[in-house]
Amino acid sequence: MSYFLEARGLRKTFDGTTVLDDIDFRLERGECLVLLGPSGCGKTTLLNIIAGMLATDAGELHCDGDLLDAPARGLHQPMRERRFSMVFQDFSLWPHMSVADNVAFGLKVQGMARAERRRRVAEVLRQVQMEAFADRSPGNLSGGQQQRVSIARALAVRPRLLLLDEPLSALDARLREDLKVELGTLLRDTGVTAIYVTHDQSEAFSLASRIALMYQGRIEQIGAPEEIYRAPASAFAAGFLGVSNLMPYRRHNGGLRLGERTDIHWRLNGVPDEGQLMVRRESVWVSPSEAPANGCIALAGVCHRTNFLGDRHEAVVSVGEDGFTLRGFSDERVPEGTPVQVRFPAEAVHFLQR
Amino acid sequence: MNAALAIARSRSWRALNARLPLLLCVLALGIATGYPLAILFLQSVFPQILGGSLEGFLDAYRRIGETPDMLVLIRNSLAWAGATTVVAWLFGIPCGYLLARTNLPGKLWARLSLLVPIMTPPYIAALSYILVMQAGGFGDTLVGGLPEGLRAWFFSFWGVTLVMALSSFGYVALAVEATLSGIPRRFEDAATLLGASWGQTARRILLPLLLPAVFNSGLLVFLEALSNFGVPAVLGTRSNLPLLPAEIFYLVTSWPVDLALATSLSSLLCLFALFTLYGSRWLAGVLGAGEYRPGQASITPLSVGQRWLAWAFIGTLFVLSSVVPYAAMVLTSLAQTWGVGWPTLTLAHYTDIFTFGSRGLQALWTSLWLSITAATLCIAIGGYIAYVNVRASGWAQRFLDGLATLPRVIPKIVMAVALILAWNAPWVRIDIYNTVAMLLLAYVVIYITDALNYSNSTLRAMSVNLENAAAVLGASRFTIFTRVVLPRLKPALLAAWLTTFIVCMRELVASILLLPPGTDTTATFIFNQFEQGDLSVAMAMATVTIMLSTIVLVLFTLRRR
Ligand SMILES: Nc1ncnc2c1ncn2[C@@H]1O[C@H](COP(=O)(O)OP(=O)(O)O)[C@@H](O)[C@H]1O
Ligand SMILES: [Mg+2]
Repeated sequence: MSYFLEARGLRKTFDGTTVLDDIDFRLERGECLVLLGPSGCGKTTLLNIIAGMLATDAGELHCDGDLLDAPARGLHQPMRERRFSMVFQDFSLWPHMSVADNVAFGLKVQGMARAERRRRVAEVLRQVQMEAFADRSPGNLSGGQQQRVSIARALAVRPRLLLLDEPLSALDARLREDLKVELGTLLRDTGVTAIYVTHDQSEAFSLASRIALMYQGRIEQIGAPEEIYRAPASAFAAGFLGVSNLMPYRRHNGGLRLGERTDIHWRLNGVPDEGQLMVRRESVWVSPSEAPANGCIALAGVCHRTNFLGDRHEAVVSVGEDGFTLRGFSDERVPEGTPVQVRFPAEAVHFLQR
Repeated sequence: MNAALAIARSRSWRALNARLPLLLCVLALGIATGYPLAILFLQSVFPQILGGSLEGFLDAYRRIGETPDMLVLIRNSLAWAGATTVVAWLFGIPCGYLLARTNLPGKLWARLSLLVPIMTPPYIAALSYILVMQAGGFGDTLVGGLPEGLRAWFFSFWGVTLVMALSSFGYVALAVEATLSGIPRRFEDAATLLGASWGQTARRILLPLLLPAVFNSGLLVFLEALSNFGVPAVLGTRSNLPLLPAEIFYLVTSWPVDLALATSLSSLLCLFALFTLYGSRWLAGVLGAGEYRPGQASITPLSVGQRWLAWAFIGTLFVLSSVVPYAAMVLTSLAQTWGVGWPTLTLAHYTDIFTFGSRGLQALWTSLWLSITAATLCIAIGGYIAYVNVRASGWAQRFLDGLATLPRVIPKIVMAVALILAWNAPWVRIDIYNTVAMLLLAYVVIYITDALNYSNSTLRAMSVNLENAAAVLGASRFTIFTRVVLPRLKPALLAAWLTTFIVCMRELVASILLLPPGTDTTATFIFNQFEQGDLSVAMAMATVTIMLSTIVLVLFTLRRR
């Protein structure tokens, strides 16, 4: 029970469809947990349950020794008592208040004295670099500026937990990149505990202490970003993060058989009997000329497309007679139909059972 | 040399040609609205001006200032319009809230119940209420004797206020509903998350965002009450409550005619209306809610008890605003003999109206063709003026814009009086005054605003590039208007036609002032028959008119589906 926030067995059903199922996670003080998943997987619903806007149908939610939700015991702490705050995708700044009034609202509600409030508002606006805009009306600000104000509004009250629901999704690409970096700094500097919802893996990687990967209303995997990237627990996790190659395999004649016909040598200790073999695109090397294996797995194939990515080329290769395809990188443009060699180091291979 | 001159001439001709539509529109509206209002104002300042003399400068205003009755009249009018607005708020705001923010069952019915009084001409509601409340009315014969206190209360300031508020609270309710259901629930969620209580959220977030809608609908109600002629004429006179529009009417129509006083009171009435409009615009700017994108609003579930209470509120309003007046109207139109208890029923009054050659049928016929013609003219002229207005710029455009918005604020009675002065003036050689054409002109002048408004909003949303694309392909201005603009304008124009038709069908004050003797429209027929004591025929005509408007409305709505 030493965790700051703990969810056990949360569940939510809307009109008979289960939107969240058996959600468990724990969060330590000062951590930033990113809920990452495709659109419609239930991220917002989970965040709203944590905020208290929705009541969970089952399970328990604890925060800092308080019991927030426990439907079995008829407990539901109203959202205004939770001392959380939230940043919304559409900013949701109150249009009839100035920037400073928006930020001051929560402090006013807490009954903070005027002078102290002014000081705090100025401080937070400085943190988000919006102090020059204090008297402006939110309607005259750009999207990025509005989101900064919205973040300031949420931080001003020093919330126990900061909830962010796709805060950067409504912004254009360049701005998103800048604000992402700033937000990372801000979260670290303020030391606030945060839950951040996004469908964008680059946001997740740069902001998360840990990522909870969600899929179809469940948490598919939870862990540090590097861990999830390196060792995805499922085909979904492997496919959702980064670009991966997945090949079905089974043990065969003391080695592995990929697909129906392609055999490779492999030391079988610890390898499950059958499942999927995963190797990241960046570990796959494609070249038209043969090179010594050097401890790599080498397969022969035919290149059927290359895409220029700026710093290198991506090559799509059909391997063996099965014709399963692999994506990898090559130094040069490989003409279509050229026979190529595909190589990847054995350490880059990861086995999946699901 | 010659060539240069020709080029210069052709250039200035082209410049003029480009501005021609705008100048034409300014000229047309200037003659139709600007000129009569100018005459009205001049006449109020120089009472002898139509006789060609500038004597008696400001005499009429001085008389108003020195007559206590006049000051009471003005104070009454403003107080009454204000009271109507407040009562309409009290009725309408809760309705709007219930419709927008709760899970009230049967919202469709609740909304319909708001539309009925909006669709009912206020003077017909007032007439029906007289039938219920007067000594020997339905209140006495059917309910078994009204307490005299209640009757006295009804025929007083507050009774007249109630009737007017009942016929206009629907605007408030619909405006409040539209705004409340568009305030995204996120705005409230954000406040609640930061620890705000329900009361704090309501006061700091909801109320400021709602105020513009409350003010704008209140403005509508206030202006409507201030300038309404029917209710003051029908009910005000019976309640010892003289109100401006009715008094202006009597000054113009009954002996001794006092045009100076009538026009100065009219000018004051306009002044109040303009002042209200700009005052509330200014206020809206100060309170300014700021722009936001409407979103999903939060819905509060009602307990069973609250549901009953909500429906009791809406139901009571429906009974008072619709059931009582309609029951009285229909029952009277069917009544043959009167006495205590239920009257004997007959269809004779309807047969009267529909008998070939009867005054009733003539009135109905006059109203129908006048309304159809006026509505058609309104959308034709209004649509074109709106188009020219939206696509032009410069001082002439701003002038046109100002002229076009005038009839929206100028009370109808004032416009009617102004038209009389303008077309009855000694220098007018056209014999239009005292013909039905005069009324047609009045209808178009008064009701062209709907066509202008509806077209304006469509045109503003329409990109100029649509027209430029056609112009690049070599289309003429006429082709662009008929092939590109008109088709997109069609839905707005149809809606404007329908609104104009319906309001013309029930138009009372201009008709009563401008119709040549011996001719009636449905409204003047109802008004005159009622005043002459022929209640049943009046109410039969009222029923027929309302049914006709409703049928047209339903047909249009069904066709648009
Ligand atoms: N109030 C609701 N009523 C019914 N279904 C809902 C409601 N809110 C969300 N859903 C459904 O729940 C699923 C998850 O929604 P959401 O949590 O918004 O997903 P995400 O934020 O991951 O995109 C979606 O399929 C959505 O249609
Ligand atoms: Mg979402």
